[in-house]
Amino acid sequence: MIPISWFLIFSAALFCIGLFGVLARKNTIGMLMGVELMLNAVNINLLAFWAYRYAGQMNGLVFVAIVFAAAAAEAAVGLALIISVYRRRTTVMADELNLMKG
Amino acid sequence: MNMDLLIWLIPLPPLLAFAAIVLFTNRSKALSHSLAIGAAGLSWLASMVVFFTAVGREELAKHPLGVDLKVNWLPLGDGAFKIGVQVDPLSAVILFFVAWTVLMIFVYSVGYHNFGQPAGDHDKPGLPPHGATVKVKGHGHQVPSVEPMYSRFFAMISLFAFGMFLLVVTDNLLTLYMAWEIMGLCSYLLIGFWYAKPSARDAAVKAFLTTRVGDMFMLLGMAALYKMTGTLNYQEILANPTVLEMLASQAAPVLGLSWAGLIGILIFMGTVGKSAQFPLHVWLPDAMEGPTPVSAMIHAATMVSAGVYLSIRFFPLISAGWDGGGALTPAMMTLAVVGAVTALFAATIAVAQNDIKRVLAYSTISQLGYMIAALGVGAYVAAAFHLVTHAFFKALLFLGSGSVIHGMEHGVLHTHQHIDPQDMQHMGGLRKKMPVTFWTFLAGGLALSGFPLVTAGFWSKDEILSGAFNGGHVWVFVILALAALLTAFYTARQITLTFLGQARSEAAEHASESRAVMTAPLVVLAFFAITAGWVGIPKAFPGLGGLVPNWFEEFVGEMLLVHGEAAHHSLVPLITSLVVALGGLALGWWVYRDVRAGQKDPLQKPLGPVYTLLQNKYYFDELYGATVVRFSRWVSEVFTDRWLDRGVIDGILHGIAAAGLWLGGVLRNGFDLPVINRFLGDTVVAGGTRKLGAETSKIQTGRLQQYMLMGLAVVLAASAIIYFFFVMA
Amino acid sequence: MDLLTNHLLTLILFTPVVGAVVLLFLPAKNIRVLRWAALAASLVPFGLALGLWARFDPSAEGFQFVEMMPWYPAIQSSYHLGVDGISLMMVLLTVVLTPLAVLASFTVTERVKAYMFLFLLLETGMLGVFLSLDLLLFFVFWEVGLVPMYFLIAQWGGTRRNYAALKFILYTMGGSLGLLLATQMIGVVAGTFDLTELFQIWPALNSGTLLGLPMATVKAVAFWAFVIAFAIKVPVWPFHTWLPDAHTEAPTAGSMILAGVLLKLGAYGFLRLVLPLYPLESKLFAGWLAALGALAIIFGALGAFGQKDFKRLVAYSSINHMGFVVLGIAAAAAAVGSQDAVIALNGAVLQMVTHGLSAAGMFFLVGVIYERTHTRDLTEFGGLFAQMPVYGGVLLFTAMGSLGLPGLAGFVSEFLVVRGAWPVFTLATALSMIGLFFTGAYILKALKMVLHGPLNERWKGKLPEMSLREGIVIAPLMVLMLILGVWPAWALDVINRTVSMISLAMSLWF
Repeated sequence: MIPISWFLIFSAALFCIGLFGVLARKNTIGMLMGVELMLNAVNINLLAFWAYRYAGQMNGLVFVAIVFAAAAAEAAVGLALIISVYRRRTTVMADELNLMKG
Repeated sequence: MNMDLLIWLIPLPPLLAFAAIVLFTNRSKALSHSLAIGAAGLSWLASMVVFFTAVGREELAKHPLGVDLKVNWLPLGDGAFKIGVQVDPLSAVILFFVAWTVLMIFVYSVGYHNFGQPAGDHDKPGLPPHGATVKVKGHGHQVPSVEPMYSRFFAMISLFAFGMFLLVVTDNLLTLYMAWEIMGLCSYLLIGFWYAKPSARDAAVKAFLTTRVGDMFMLLGMAALYKMTGTLNYQEILANPTVLEMLASQAAPVLGLSWAGLIGILIFMGTVGKSAQFPLHVWLPDAMEGPTPVSAMIHAATMVSAGVYLSIRFFPLISAGWDGGGALTPAMMTLAVVGAVTALFAATIAVAQNDIKRVLAYSTISQLGYMIAALGVGAYVAAAFHLVTHAFFKALLFLGSGSVIHGMEHGVLHTHQHIDPQDMQHMGGLRKKMPVTFWTFLAGGLALSGFPLVTAGFWSKDEILSGAFNGGHVWVFVILALAALLTAFYTARQITLTFLGQARSEAAEHASESRAVMTAPLVVLAFFAITAGWVGIPKAFPGLGGLVPNWFEEFVGEMLLVHGEAAHHSLVPLITSLVVALGGLALGWWVYRDVRAGQKDPLQKPLGPVYTLLQNKYYFDELYGATVVRFSRWVSEVFTDRWLDRGVIDGILHGIAAAGLWLGGVLRNGFDLPVINRFLGDTVVAGGTRKLGAETSKIQTGRLQQYMLMGLAVVLAASAIIYFFFVMA
Repeated sequence: MDLLTNHLLTLILFTPVVGAVVLLFLPAKNIRVLRWAALAASLVPFGLALGLWARFDPSAEGFQFVEMMPWYPAIQSSYHLGVDGISLMMVLLTVVLTPLAVLASFTVTERVKAYMFLFLLLETGMLGVFLSLDLLLFFVFWEVGLVPMYFLIAQWGGTRRNYAALKFILYTMGGSLGLLLATQMIGVVAGTFDLTELFQIWPALNSGTLLGLPMATVKAVAFWAFVIAFAIKVPVWPFHTWLPDAHTEAPTAGSMILAGVLLKLGAYGFLRLVLPLYPLESKLFAGWLAALGALAIIFGALGAFGQKDFKRLVAYSSINHMGFVVLGIAAAAAAVGSQDAVIALNGAVLQMVTHGLSAAGMFFLVGVIYERTHTRDLTEFGGLFAQMPVYGGVLLFTAMGSLGLPGLAGFVSEFLVVRGAWPVFTLATALSMIGLFFTGAYILKALKMVLHGPLNERWKGKLPEMSLREGIVIAPLMVLMLILGVWPAWALDVINRTVSMISLAMSLWF
C-alpha cells in the first residue's frame, strides 16, 4: 500500500506549483488557475487524511465537496470579474491593475 | 302669532336682507333695494303689531312683553348667561319711531341715490356720482347719475337697521352692547361710504375711534355691573329695588363713588361717545361726509338716539339713591353738567356754520345734550319724550336738507357752476322751486325751535325746561333756555338763508323739486313732527291741559320706581320757552332776511373774533389733533416701536447675542486655535498620524501579487512563530 | 373599527407624519401632485378630529380617549395621550388651520417637497403637545414643533429671514432649556412624568431634597423655568420681540400657523402645566402675570399702531390679543375657585381659539395682497377697495373679527376675560382698555391705508381679484368667526366643564 507521505508530498508539490503560478504569473487568468491548483492540493490532502485515518466517517468527503463548490464559485466570479475588467481596460495583466495603490 | 317670537323676529329681516344683498343680489340695483325696503317693511309691520299690543297691555312695565323666551347664550361655570327680548313702555315708544324713521329713510334713499338715472360718465366706486350726459333732441344734457355702489349702500343700511332694532328689543346690556358696536361699524362704513375721498375716510375713522373711547368705559361698566349683580338683564337689575339699593350703598374703590354711581358714570361714558356729548362730540359734524340718508339715520333715528336710550334705560341705576327731590347723585350731576354744557356749546357753534348739514349736526349734538341734561335733573319722561319727537323732526330736517342739496346739485349740473351745493350762502329763494321740501322743512324747523302749541318740539322741550326749573336746578334751566334761544335763532337763520329771499346763485335759480320717492317720506315725517307732541301735553298746562290725556307720561312714567315730586306747574318755564322760541325765530329771520350774494354773514362784524372761534368750532379738532392724536402717534411710533421694542428690548437681546459671540471668539482665539489646533493638533496627534500614514502607505503598491507575497510572508512567519513557540515548547 | 376608536388620538397624531413620509417618495418634479398629496394628508387628521369631537362627551370629567403604553419604563415615562375640553379645542384649531395653510401654500414653487414635508411634521409636533399627558412626551413634541418652523422661516422666508429665524429658534430654545431642566427635576423628584399622577402629588410635595437643595427651592426653580418658557412662546411682554420679526419674514402659511397655533402652545402650557401643578405659586405671582398681560395688551396695540409694514402690524396684533389670554389666566390663578376664575378661564381659552382664527385669516390676507404687489408697505397701498371689492369685503370682515367686533368671534372672549379679570385686577383691566382702544386704532389704520382713500395709480388695473383657491382658504375662517361670535355656546360647552374642573382642582390645594 502506498504510504500516506507520498500523497502529502504530492499535494505539497502541487500546492507550491499553484502558489508559484499565483505569485509569478502576470496574467490574472493564470493566477486564477494557480488558485485552483492550490485548492485541489488541499483537497488531496483532505482525501488522504480521510482515507487513512477516518474512513468510517463522512466528514472528509463533505469538506471536499464544500471546497469543490467554493472553488467552482470562485472560478465563476473570478472569471466574470476578469471579463468585466478586460472590457473596461482591455487588459488582464495584474501589474497594470494598480488602481488601489496607496 | 306668538308675541315673544314676533319680537325676536323684528330685527331679523334687515339682517337677512343684508346677507342676501352682499352674497347674491349685489349686481341688481332694483332687487337690492326691493329686498332692503321689503325687509324694513316687515320689521316695521312687526314693530307696529308689537307696539300696539304693548300699548294695550296693563302694567306693561312690570310685565314686559317677550320675556318668556330666553336662550342660554354663554354657558359659564354652573350657570349660563341668558339672552332674550323684552318690550316695555320705553322700548315700545323707541321701537315706534325707529320703525317709522327707518322705513322712511330706506324709501328716501332710492331717490337720493338717483335710482333709474343713467350711469355716470366718469363715476367710480368710492366717489360720489358726478352726473351723466343725456342726449335730448341732439342736445347734451347733464343729469344726475346713479350711485355706482347702490346695492352696497342698501346692504349697509340694512345691517344698520338690524343693529338698531336689536338694540331696542334686547333685554340685557350685553346684547345691547353688541348691537351698539354693530351700529358703530355700520356708521364707520357709511360715513366712509365714498371711501376714495380722503375727508370721508378720515371722518369714518374719527367717528369709530371717538365712539370707541366711550365704549371702552362702557365695557368696564358692564363688567363691573355683571360682577356686582351676576346678571345684565334689565328687569333683574333696573326693576329690582334690592339690587339698586345694594349698588347704591356699597362704596366703589374710585373717587368715593358708590358702585351705582361708578357703574352709572362708566355706562354713561358710552352715551357720551355714541351721542356725541362734550368732549367726545367732534366726530359727529365730520360724519356729514356720508350720504344724507346716512346722516339722517345716524344722527336722528338710530345711533345717537341709541346713546340717549342707554342713559334713559339705565336711569334707575344712575339715579339709585336719589329720593326724587333732594340733591342729585354724582352720576346724575355728571349727566346734568355734560348735557347742559353740550346743549349750549353745540348751539353756539351751529350759529356760525354755513354747511346746511353741519348746522343740523351741531343742532343734533345740542338737542341730545338737552335730553341728557333733562335726565340729569331727573326729568325722565321729558327726556324720553324729547328723544321721540326729536327723532322725527331731526330725521325730517336731515332728509329735507338732503332734498335741498339734491335740488341744488340739479341746478349745479344744469348751469355748470362750480359751487358747493351744501353751502347755504349759495342758496336762497328755494321756497318757490321746492315747495314740498320747503313746507316740510319748515315744519321740522319749527319743531326744532319749539314753535308753540302746534309742533312736537314745543311740548317736549317745554317739559324739559319745566322739569329743570321745578326740580330747583336753576342753572340748568338758564343754560337750557339760552340754548333754546340759540336753537330758534339758527333754525330761523337756516330757513331764511335757504328758502326765503332771493336766489344767491345761478344754481339755486335752476334748482328743482325732488322726486316723489323723496318727498313722500318728508310728508310722513312732517306729520309726526307736528302731531307726536300731542300725546304728551301736560295736565297742568294752562288751557289745553287735560283736554287730551297725557298718554306719554302715563305710559312711559310707569317705568320709574322713584317718581320725581309732582310737578307744581309754574308759569316761568312756559313763558320762557314761548319767549325764547318766538324771539329766537324772529331775531333769526330779521338778521338774515335779505342777505345778498357774496355778502358776509351779518353776525361776523358785531361778533368779531368770537365768530371766527365759533366758525372753527372752538378749535377742538385742532386741539385734539395737536394733543391726543400727536401724542398717540408719538407713543406708538417713537416710544413703543423705536425706543422700547427696537431699542431697549432688542438692544438687550442683541447685547446677549454679542456677548455670546465675544465669548465664543475669546475661546476660539485663546484656547482652541493655539492649544488644541496648533499644539496638540498640528504637532502631536494629527502630525504623528499623518506621518505614520505617509510611511505605511508606501506598501500599498496596488499590485496583487505583492499583496499575496506579503500575505504569504506573514503566514509563514506566523506559522514559524507558532511552530517554534507553541509546538516545540 | 376597534382600532379607530381605541387609538383615535394616535391616528390623529401620526397621520401627518405618515403623509410626510409618503411625500418623500413622490417625484420632486411634479409639484401639483405634491401639493395635493400634502393637502390630502392634512385633511385626514381633520376628518378624524371631527370624529373625535363628535364622540367627545363635554359633560364628563377628566381626560377622554386616553391611550397609555410603556415608552421609557426605566424613567417612568410613558406614551400617554388624552383630551379634555381645552386640548380638544386646540386640536380642532390645529387640524382646521393646517389644511388651510397648506392650501395657502400652493403658491410656493421652490422645493415644494421639503416645504410640505416640514409642514406636516410641524402639524404632528403641535398636535403632540396638545395631546400629551406625559411631561417628557410633552417636551419632545414641544421641540419637534420648533425645528420645522425654523426651516420654514429660514428657507422660504423674506429678505431678513436668517436674522428672524435665528432669533426665533434661539429665543425659543432658550426657553426650552428651562423647560427641560424643570421637566427633569419634576421627574426625578416625583418619580414619574405622568401628568395625571403629577397633578395629584406634585403640588403636595414639600419635603425632601434634590442634590442637596430643599424642596421649596426646587419647586421655585421649576416654576419659573416653566413660566419663562411659556411666556416666551405666548409671547408675554417683554419677551415678544422675536414675534414681529419671525412673522414678518415667515412665508404666509408659516405666519398663519405661527400665529394660529404655535403661540397657543405657550398659553396651553400655562393652562395644562403651570396652573394645575403650581396652584399656590401661581396665585402668589398672578399679579405680576396680570401686569405683564396688561402691558402686552397696551404695548402690543401701540406697537401695531406704530407700524408701516402691514405684516408687522398684524404680528403686533397677536401680542395684543394674546395679552388677553394671559390676563385671563392670571385672573384665574388669583381668584382660584371662584366664578370669576371660571369666567376668566373660559374667556382665555375661547380667546385662544378666536385669535387663532382671526390672526390666521389676517396673515393670509396680508399674503394675498403681498403676492400681487410685492410690497407690505402700507403707504404704498391706497384705494384698493375699488380694484378688489371682494378682497376688500373679506379683509373688512376679518379685520373686524380681529378688532373684536361683537357678532364676530373676538368679542365674546374679550368680554369674558374683562369680566373675569375686573374684580381681581381692577387696575390692570382698566388699563388694558387703552390697549383695546388702540386695537381699534390700528385695525382702522390698516383698513384706511389699504382699502380707502384715492387709488394709488401704480396698481390701476394690475390687481386681479381673489382667486377661488384664496376664497376657499379664507371662507372657513370667516364662517367659523361668525358662528363663534353669534353662537359661542357650542364651543363654550366644551370648554366650560374642563376649566371649571381645573379651577376646582386648584382650589382644593388652598
